[in-house]
Amino acid sequence: MIVCVAVVGHQNNPLYIQSFTEADDALKLHHMVHCSLDVVDERVNNPKKSGPTLNETFLGLLYPTENYKVYGYLTNTKVKFIVVTTDLDVRDADVRNFFRRFHAAYVDAVSNPFHVPGKKITSRAFAERVSTIVKSFGLSSAG
Amino acid sequence: MIGVGKIKQYSNVLDKPLAKGKQEVSLSAFAFLFSELVQYNQTQVDNIAELERRLEDAGYAVGARVLELLCHRDKGNRRETRLLGILSFVHSTVWKVLFGKVADSLEKGTEHEDEYMISEKELLVNRFISIPKDMGTFNCGAFVAGIVRGVLDSAGFPAVVTAHFVPMEGQQRPRTTILIKFAEEVLRREARLG
Repeated sequence: MIVCVAVVGHQNNPLYIQSFTEADDALKLHHMVHCSLDVVDERVNNPKKSGPTLNETFLGLLYPTENYKVYGYLTNTKVKFIVVTTDLDVRDADVRNFFRRFHAAYVDAVSNPFHVPGKKITSRAFAERVSTIVKSFGLSSAG
Repeated sequence: MIGVGKIKQYSNVLDKPLAKGKQEVSLSAFAFLFSELVQYNQTQVDNIAELERRLEDAGYAVGARVLELLCHRDKGNRRETRLLGILSFVHSTVWKVLFGKVADSLEKGTEHEDEYMISEKELLVNRFISIPKDMGTFNCGAFVAGIVRGVLDSAGFPAVVTAHFVPMEGQQRPRTTILIKFAEEVLRREARLG
């Protein structure tokens, strides 16, 4: 199940971080999200020509640690979505699907004329949609 | 359970996903809104340059959001990193979504390496606008220039974008040209990518 999602802007400033466990290691999750930003930058700046195609939005597994897996997704405007999950067997298609819905919620939040690009996302509707998507991710991959 | 196995019915229209939807907005509604926008800004400023800058800033906000929206809707859309890629994206996709047709032409400037021009016989936003003589070279296309600047800036290609009238022989109404001047770093990066 997903323990943390984060939206990071193009200057690596955090726009939205939300953790979904009752445990108190929110700081550790924030730290992992921060470290994974380096991996994203490295993938973007040194594309492996033989690897995944250049300019792909879904970056895939960024790095696995002992308990967690971190996935990344990059949009057209260099805004990054980072997802930390504890599942050991997560299907690629599930994560892509999750990112697609997350991207839809993000576009909706940004289209708000009162949202200043570059500032944190404060919309409650966005927070609710994200928690709905996160909950349904757990169900679809278990079922 | 209701909805299982069928298309999900949304009880609230706000819950519907951000699908393509009806593409069209009535031109008169937009022209009315745009004329109000210009008039509102006119009461707030003292000179033409400030009015142009305000329209451009309004367009910039639109451009940033349009880029996010288009990248999400065209599911296979890759991130553009090349200059020509982003220019043709603006010239066809963005224009098609905003104005219902692709722009008339895209040209590379002859004097400077970093200048490109998108031309249009008549900008949709200027359709119902006539500029009084004492406003000189003011062009409400500054709004569209702002949109283009918003798209380019959010995609990582900082540029200075302006709108100009270009008189054409043989036609009474001048053609509108959006002039795009890219920043130094964009050209350096383009040269490095080869």
